[in-house]
Amino acid sequence: MSHNPTTQLLRLLPLALLLAAPLAHAADAGHGAQVFAEECAECHSASPGKNKKGPSLFAVAGHVAGGVPDYVYSDAMKHSGITWTADKLDAYIAAPRKTVPGCKMKYDGLDNAGARADLIEFLNNTH
Amino acid sequence: MPTTTRFARLRPRATWPLAALLAAASVPAHALPSFARQTGDDCAACHIGAFGPQLTPHGMKFKMGGYTDSNGKNDSLPVSAMLVESWFHTKKDQPPADGPNNKALLQEASLFLAGRLGEHVGSFAQGTWSDTGRRKFTMDNVDVRYTNTLQLAGKDTVLGLSFNNNPTVTDPFNTVPAWRFPYMATEMAPGPAASPIIDGALAGQVGGLAAYGLWNDSVYAELGGYRTMGRSFLENVNVLAPGDNLDKINGVAPYWRVGYFQDLHKSAWHVGMFGFDPNLKPGGVAGPTDKYRDIGVDASYQFLGTRKHVFALNTAYIHEKRKFDASFDSTCTTPDAPCSQSGNVNRFDLSGSYHYDQTWGVTAGMFGVKGSADSGLYSGVSVLNKPDSDGYILQADWTPLGKENSWGAPWANLRLGLQYTGYTKFNGSKNNYDGTGRNASDNNTLYAFAWAAF
Ligand code: HEC
Repeated sequence: MSHNPTTQLLRLLPLALLLAAPLAHAADAGHGAQVFAEECAECHSASPGKNKKGPSLFAVAGHVAGGVPDYVYSDAMKHSGITWTADKLDAYIAAPRKTVPGCKMKYDGLDNAGARADLIEFLNNTH
Repeated sequence: MPTTTRFARLRPRATWPLAALLAAASVPAHALPSFARQTGDDCAACHIGAFGPQLTPHGMKFKMGGYTDSNGKNDSLPVSAMLVESWFHTKKDQPPADGPNNKALLQEASLFLAGRLGEHVGSFAQGTWSDTGRRKFTMDNVDVRYTNTLQLAGKDTVLGLSFNNNPTVTDPFNTVPAWRFPYMATEMAPGPAASPIIDGALAGQVGGLAAYGLWNDSVYAELGGYRTMGRSFLENVNVLAPGDNLDKINGVAPYWRVGYFQDLHKSAWHVGMFGFDPNLKPGGVAGPTDKYRDIGVDASYQFLGTRKHVFALNTAYIHEKRKFDASFDSTCTTPDAPCSQSGNVNRFDLSGSYHYDQTWGVTAGMFGVKGSADSGLYSGVSVLNKPDSDGYILQADWTPLGKENSWGAPWANLRLGLQYTGYTKFNGSKNNYDGTGRNASDNNTLYAFAWAAF
């Protein structure tokens, strides 16, 4: 057996990759909470019933768009027929105006796919 | 004090118009709970440190949108109130005629009509009662807007009109005279003898219409024109007392502003330029005019992150060229009249702030005024006949409320602050600047305030 440290490390590499792979892909709700604070919280609360300029995003995942009863949505959002699955959320957060044309959310979109995944994981956890 | 100086500009006349003093005194404004009630947003969404007026990009957009954004329900009343109780201590008393020392005051009690008045119309209009002034309810900052949004070259564009009474009060950035640090200051302590005229000297006396636009959330431009309001109106709203001097703008004075702005959500920055060019008829008398040409450059940066740690930097430099065609006296015999026909005064401001958890804040600022000497204009206040003044301002503040889950939200907000202003040069020199042995540092002032908004 070689005692060359480099060779030893190389031998561990597949294992490391194996461990790291799910980590890299597992959405991180903690980081998602940070992204929410950075990108969304000025307009949205994650607490139930708290509407700001945008509706509360509490338990938004899996629900029908335009579903917060005491929030006044745009017609575009109300009649979009969307159900907020992870895919739809991802598309909307990446490009709000393309996904729901005419919606009144003045947000230009979050480009970073990893940040979106973490954010959606965070939203999934609010219920 | 820089923003709220009682001597925003040494006027080429013996009588100081109370209007300029009062209006300039109450220029710094305000986190308004009526805005929070209307939008559902917390104070912290629009204001750095959860208290006005230092705006975040979200707050800037709300202002540029004409105070009309709402949570869609439109059931809140656009009315707010504000109280400022304060105390100040200047290192060495001023001559008693110039003012008291070590005094606690009800500095401001204000009412606001602030918020959405219709789909396209919004207002920020303030009336103020102050124990430091004439103890009358006075018209303060007024900014009433009409806005619309449309697509220009395929990009979102906000277009707006503002009727207002103070050049720079319309501005969204935290760098211009009406809105720069310090956001609250005492108007009782001595302040430097001069500053460019755009620095509040005409605040409250003028009425202006400005058109502005924000293109693609990035390019901001504004063009306005100001005229002096009528004396009887200014007396009715207690901006002027009978007998106060009123210099009148000849025709219309143009105000302009351009800026480039980027809101990156985690951070934001802007760079810009602005200017104001009034020609004044001293005392309103027809004939030659005193001409002021102000031009400023400014920039800002904010780090917002998750809003746990927020840093902000704001800076502006203003250059003013003056030509006293009306009031100069080359024989130098008219008291307080300029001896030179032309001159200049320049002003630099820089401040940096840090806020922790939208609650605890510290701000450090520095300012400098530099201008041409004039043995008429500055006689009596400067042995060197110069306006040059340099100093710094340190502030610590605590804003326990104003967050999403704060007690009393969105009905009440509170800030307690302690501020120290130090001068290293005052009206021309460090020591004995006025010839009676008073030093710049004798004007160093400690100021404490409790600022509440409802
Ligand atoms: C500038 C304010 C603003 C920002 C920033 C913002 N939103 Fe919105 N959002 C809105 C508004 C307003 C609506 C309502 C849209 C409509 O009715 O057309 C909305 C609607 C939504 C909806 C639909 C909710 C429902 O009940 O159907 C989702 C999901 C959403 N936003 C997610 C986000 C996320 C995630 C972020 C951060 C990446 C974000 N928003 C940032 C203002 C904002």
